[in-house]
Amino acid sequence: MSEILTQIPIYLVLLAALVNLTRRQWTINLVALTVQYLFLFPLVRSVLPMELALIQPFTGLMVTLILYLTLVSVGGIEKVKLNIKPTSGEIFRALAGLLLLVMLQSFLPGLQREVFPLVPSDHLFASMGLILIGLLQLGTISEPFYIAIGILTFLSGFQLLYYALDYSYLLEALLVTVNLLLAIVGAFFIVKNAESETT
Amino acid sequence: MSNTVVIWIGLPIALSFLLVSLQKYQKITAVLATIIPLILAGLAVLFSNDLVLSIAGRQFFLEDSLVLFGRTIQITAGQLGMVSVLYLVCFAWNAFSRLFIVSQWFNSLSLLITALWVSVQFINPFIYSAVVIELIALTSVPLLSPRGTPAKNGIIRFLSMQTLALPLILVSGWMVTGIETSPSAQALVLRGAILVLIGFILWVGIFPLHSWLPMLAEESHPWTISFLLVLMQVGLALFFLKFLNQYGWLRNLPELDTFLKWIGALCILSAGVIAAFQSNLNRMLGYFFLAETGYLAFSMAFRGSGGLEVLTMTLFPRILAHWALAVSLASMQRITRSETLTFEVLKGIIRRYPFASVLLLASILNLIGMPLFSLYPTKHIVWKLISTDNLPLSLLSAVGVLGMLTMFLRLFSTMINPGNQNHQTGSEESNVEEIGLIIMVVVILMVIILPGLFPNVLSRPVQELLISFENLT
Repeated sequence: MSEILTQIPIYLVLLAALVNLTRRQWTINLVALTVQYLFLFPLVRSVLPMELALIQPFTGLMVTLILYLTLVSVGGIEKVKLNIKPTSGEIFRALAGLLLLVMLQSFLPGLQREVFPLVPSDHLFASMGLILIGLLQLGTISEPFYIAIGILTFLSGFQLLYYALDYSYLLEALLVTVNLLLAIVGAFFIVKNAESETT
Repeated sequence: MSNTVVIWIGLPIALSFLLVSLQKYQKITAVLATIIPLILAGLAVLFSNDLVLSIAGRQFFLEDSLVLFGRTIQITAGQLGMVSVLYLVCFAWNAFSRLFIVSQWFNSLSLLITALWVSVQFINPFIYSAVVIELIALTSVPLLSPRGTPAKNGIIRFLSMQTLALPLILVSGWMVTGIETSPSAQALVLRGAILVLIGFILWVGIFPLHSWLPMLAEESHPWTISFLLVLMQVGLALFFLKFLNQYGWLRNLPELDTFLKWIGALCILSAGVIAAFQSNLNRMLGYFFLAETGYLAFSMAFRGSGGLEVLTMTLFPRILAHWALAVSLASMQRITRSETLTFEVLKGIIRRYPFASVLLLASILNLIGMPLFSLYPTKHIVWKLISTDNLPLSLLSAVGVLGMLTMFLRLFSTMINPGNQNHQTGSEESNVEEIGLIIMVVVILMVIILPGLFPNVLSRPVQELLISFENLT
């Protein structure tokens, strides 16, 4: 039972990343990003003390808030429509994401044994899953908002992996700055696109 | 305040934020952003022998390290030469920034970006600098993608590539920890080397992952993009040398030099062949950077046969060559009032703007490495090294140089051919070259030709630049 409970955050994090990869509705994406960052906390907590583990989800919430406020300012937040039929593109991205996760699951024991023997397999699955979904996101779309989300997903996966390998306050400070700057860059792109559409 | 890290990293970062707040006063920010790096470069030269300064019988001592979040950032006297080079680049681009229509953030952010590139060279452990490079990429976004236009593919690709490189470098650092004490770990050495090299390939934009270079050069103002790429090229070259200096396992890897030589040849070949078919000068700027990366790779590969001396000798001439090309492209853009310099726009332009055209042609000849120009002596040495080392590599490089020459001849033919007469009488163009521009052209031509005749002029001051890389020199 406890094993199932410990795995719930992993699947929720990956599900949120898959939603961001698949769906193209800004409100849903922001909710998924929030879920992704919140449920990273128990995973980070398994390798870091409480006060340090809080940094990543807190930064993630700040990032989401920056993006949310920007979208509100350009009128990008619309009522969520859940009953929209999925497009072929969405089905393709969802299947591609799932395929990547299944492949990762099958390669995981080898990867853990050969490259990351000190990283627990659940932790490695969550981090590599986020990295792969982030990469897929970067490769399948050129809209700046989704590129920002793709980079954020990729980086959060990498941070999760790196916490299990090494920890440094300086590196953490730099990575927090990168995440916040990335959100600002994402906001900058959203505003630019909105401006160019109105002119 | 009496600390090298505070003076050359902390202070300029603080001043750049001050300049951001003074954004409304463009002239003031431009003047300050010109003076500040000049002073910092001057101070770096002044303290480069010893961190003690005696003035009127009083002595000022500078500490050389600062502890930040438990890690040390250290800039010793011997490393201040590198600092001065980076701030001179910042000075050179800010000094002329008012002549061209660049982003309003250029002055403040250029100072910030230079300070960050300085910090990249001196953070310990140096592997963490990978995150600072990502910060630089993110800070560059407002300069590369001005407001009012949607974000284009070049900037998106640039950001993606810079981000992908970050984990590769960081993981390589973790993977090879303690490898020096276990020489049998050959598999780990190979993995670490592959991660480091792919990280650098993504950062610099080496063929076939170079597509963001010409795209970004096309989307951005030549003045801005050339500044960012010059700093990036110099900064990453020094950073790679740091890797080689610190990691004996990487330095002594038998395949490394062969790999660097092939990378060099591939860069020169791809840049030359693709440039030969281009008809957009802005994109060519990207290909020139690609070719120069190739020459840098060759210099590092031949480090046992004087390649590093070539690298230091070529440092200032290369910066000046890119600066001259940026001046000529930005001037052309200004006088033709055109956002992109296609061959169509440049038809017959030599008849209307002879001085600006001659500067453009001379800058391109300089970058190709033609005799009489400043880059010729060092390129001649690299070509000689390649030809005595490996025939296929010499042939590939020669094809690349021929491609660049073909591009030059196509451009020259376009510029002298009157073609579409509309451009001669176009009301949007100012049809007379200003006297200021003419004087500037003459001075820049002298600057890029004289070091070709007297190579020591620019190479002597930087002879000791790489002294801190004790394992390489």
